[in-house]
Amino acid sequence: MRLKNMLCAAVAMAALTGAAQADILIGTAGPTTNAEALFGTTWQNGMDLAIREANAAGGVQGQKLVLVRDDDGGDPKQGTLIAQKHCDTAGMLGVVANFNSGVTIPSSDIYNRCGMPQVTNASNPKVTKAGYKNLFRPIANDLSQGSAPAEYALTKLGAKKAAIVHDKQAFGQGVAEVFRTNFTKGGGTVTSFSGIAQTDVDFSALLSSIRAENPDVVYFGGVMPAVGLFVKQARELGIKATFFAADSAFSPDFIAGAGPASEGAVVSFQAPPYDSSPALKKFAADYKAAFGEEPGPYSAYGYVEATIIIEAMKKAPAPLTRAGIVSEIAKSDFDGIVGHVAFTPEGELQKPFLFLYGVKDGKFELVK
Amino acid sequence: MESRARAAAPASGAAAPRKLWPGALAMLAVPVLLLIVGPHLPSYPLRILDMILLYAVLGLGLNIIVGYAGLLDLGYVAFYAIGAYSWALLASGQFDIHLPFALVLLIGASLAGLAGILLGIPVLRLRGDYLAIVTLGFGEIIRVLMNNLDVVTNGPQGIARIDEAHLFGWTLSTPDDFLYLLVAMLVVVFLFVWRIQESALGTALSAVREDQDAARGCGINTTRVKLVAFAFSAFIGGACGVVFAAMQRFVSPESFTFWESLVIVLVIVVGGLGNPFGALLGATLLILLPELLRAYADYRLLFYGMALVVIILARPRGLISRQYGPSWLMRRLGGGKC
Amino acid sequence: MGALILQQTINALTVGSIYALIALGYTMVYGVLRLINFAHSELFTAGAFIGLALAGALGVAGHPTGGLLVGFITFVLIGLAGVSVEIVAYRPLRGTSRLAPMLSALGMAVVIQNAVMLIGGRRPLIYPSFLPSGVIDVFGAIITYKQITIFLVAVILMVGLELFVNRTNLGVRIRAVAENAETASLVGINPNMAISLIFFIGPGLGAVAGILYSSFYGVATFTMGFVIGMKAFTAAILGGIGSIPGAVLGGFLLGFIETFATAWMPVLSGGLIGTEYRDIFAFSVLVLILLFRPAGLLGEHVSEETMVYKSDF
Repeated sequence: MRLKNMLCAAVAMAALTGAAQADILIGTAGPTTNAEALFGTTWQNGMDLAIREANAAGGVQGQKLVLVRDDDGGDPKQGTLIAQKHCDTAGMLGVVANFNSGVTIPSSDIYNRCGMPQVTNASNPKVTKAGYKNLFRPIANDLSQGSAPAEYALTKLGAKKAAIVHDKQAFGQGVAEVFRTNFTKGGGTVTSFSGIAQTDVDFSALLSSIRAENPDVVYFGGVMPAVGLFVKQARELGIKATFFAADSAFSPDFIAGAGPASEGAVVSFQAPPYDSSPALKKFAADYKAAFGEEPGPYSAYGYVEATIIIEAMKKAPAPLTRAGIVSEIAKSDFDGIVGHVAFTPEGELQKPFLFLYGVKDGKFELVK
Repeated sequence: MESRARAAAPASGAAAPRKLWPGALAMLAVPVLLLIVGPHLPSYPLRILDMILLYAVLGLGLNIIVGYAGLLDLGYVAFYAIGAYSWALLASGQFDIHLPFALVLLIGASLAGLAGILLGIPVLRLRGDYLAIVTLGFGEIIRVLMNNLDVVTNGPQGIARIDEAHLFGWTLSTPDDFLYLLVAMLVVVFLFVWRIQESALGTALSAVREDQDAARGCGINTTRVKLVAFAFSAFIGGACGVVFAAMQRFVSPESFTFWESLVIVLVIVVGGLGNPFGALLGATLLILLPELLRAYADYRLLFYGMALVVIILARPRGLISRQYGPSWLMRRLGGGKC
Repeated sequence: MGALILQQTINALTVGSIYALIALGYTMVYGVLRLINFAHSELFTAGAFIGLALAGALGVAGHPTGGLLVGFITFVLIGLAGVSVEIVAYRPLRGTSRLAPMLSALGMAVVIQNAVMLIGGRRPLIYPSFLPSGVIDVFGAIITYKQITIFLVAVILMVGLELFVNRTNLGVRIRAVAENAETASLVGINPNMAISLIFFIGPGLGAVAGILYSSFYGVATFTMGFVIGMKAFTAAILGGIGSIPGAVLGGFLLGFIETFATAWMPVLSGGLIGTEYRDIFAFSVLVLILLFRPAGLLGEHVSEETMVYKSDF
């Protein structure tokens, strides 16, 4: 693992200095240190797995693929430096970057300038607003992530009052606002809309106020581990409402962290459950074999995003060029492990998939 | 010691170099070399170079407060953020205002300078580390405001698609363009800071640093002197912020964390406090190091931290001591007494 | 309404206990070395991780009595780590400049945080609580046994520390060194010994706070130290840095400010200022207090002379 990273970096260096080499490089950048280290690392592991499998199957057009992993620390400044590094690397023919919207937006300017095929995991609707033809987003953006739970709460649960909390981060606030809009539009009342500091772990003060509002549902726009703590503390204070959380809570850590308090919580996620199809089951098993731990919440996405680039490379005319791969990605039309991949001209998924899960007996069960 | 001596006899006096040109040439060699070599670099090293120059200028600015006046400012990033958000708000679709770059550079820097004065008036009577903590608090307050005033700053989503900067009919978009701008900024700020150091203000500042009460006894208005230093420092920080926002064309609060303030303090302390050359060297090291360590993947930040500790243990007063500044170089090369 | 206020008071006391325990480490180090020990917050994190590893190794996860043993061993281990950090990274810099040790501490913080990440992993660890579970309902407010335990442990440790510093021989030596290291060495007190003792106790208390914190919230992440450390440091300043009762007062005060600000600001401001301004509120109070009482609430009103930055840099 470690050796492999170093090897990748060494290969990247060799490519930078213009040494002749036959490998095809795929780059990535995401936070593998700092608060989001877990997401970034397991996400990149997913790509790693896709590339290992492609290599085991003989590589692409006779060449071996190498993943160049970089850490952007969730910092836009570092993201742009890495973007330039990837752009300057001659053998680099595609990137899966970045994980955060705030890093993707400035970096995409640079990737666009060098025509780099870029597949992003950033869910903010603004990411694709620049109209870059080389940028693709194979996940549901925040708009669908916030609207589906609102609809579910109103129609299936018959909820009237919702309290909304978000973590004042681009993602958390984004989905929370979409939830609010849709919940109000559907006739519900929002009793409170509160932001918390991203790093907060103690929500008792806020929760005591929410308890007094007596809402039917509580929507939490934020990421792990905050969401687990939030739900746990809410139940301890005796809040009976149904909890809704966004994608990063879709992880065994959430259930383990919140304990019995997680029972009944509803979580939206862009992928079907790992045990829902043979392909995903196989992915989860392969991942565990390769990295010695359960896949992270975004691992399957990392896998799909790398696969999109690999599939395009297989079809693109030889010799491979960035432009050739971009036009093949735009024509993507295949079933990935989480759903069908095909893009609109804006680079969004034609049919973004989103699933709602409920926690039942300590396990996630598909509710919609 | 050296600055005490200077306080007694202004530097322009006894130790003036016989010839000015050798020192001036040596110092000019750096920007000239950058301008010749820079554009031929591949874009990635060039972008790193831009970042180094930006942090060098930030370091020069912070040096006025920390290095010359001896006041620790742990919230310098606030001024940087004010500059960055000035460009983001005054040249983007956010309010559909599109002012020219040169004007915003002035506005952003002035706003930051003003913030420096407004902050300085109440807090400069605090001494030592209490001042450091209040500036830290100020830095955090500014960042939280940017994160929470959604109507103005767009909150955590940040402001995207900021205008491309144009300066005198020349578009600033590639790393090359910014290299020219940043080299120019570096030269101007370097000369400015050096002249401050040699001026009556610089003398007063070092007097304040060495012994505030004695300085007051000598008739120096210490509060006013500190306030001026604070304002200059903030002004430069604001200008850097404008350039940063123009380079990234995106701003969001995550770029202006407490950690950034610490990095700028590290730049000047590692390089050499109170020495303009030190800021250059420190910026080079602190920006280059994490990039060079990329090869170590998971161990990158661990090694970075270790390197910091080792460098500080080896050179606790910085890589270049205070006295080996530009004036020393002029004297040395100009044949004056050292 | 009464129940709500009571509930918030209990919440504030719990958070405040943890802030106060960490603040003690900052204040003791600062009192003697005038050093902001950035590595302190990372030792707090390391304490939580080591506590978890010990609990696994000893097979006592989740047992309150086992928790005592784990807490004690962790205290000693992190205390020793604190002493080593001081010897390696701060001691050689003594007498050079004020900023050098502070930035060396910053470097150590990065090193410790990443070491914890590499050894303990990036995944937030589910923390088995060492605290007894159960709740009491008092006039509609819910008090958990966990909250009571945290408060009691914190109070016992703080009282113990106060007694140690004021009533024991070793404590007198620490105070003598804090007062004036040179004079202390003239009467035969080895300042290094006293400083090592401080670097043993401070991080040790921080480590216990780490275990309490993670037990209470049920999770440990390698990045959790930074923010809580900054708040604890604020608490230390608030109370008057260098003063042990000051750190305790500052910790509880910050706990109250934060809790009540979060609960009441949105109501008082008519929804204009939400809970997301909580950090601003804490810092604004800090700035205001320093402006009116430049040495903090319980800080000794030092003469200008001792605060002068003479050859500090």
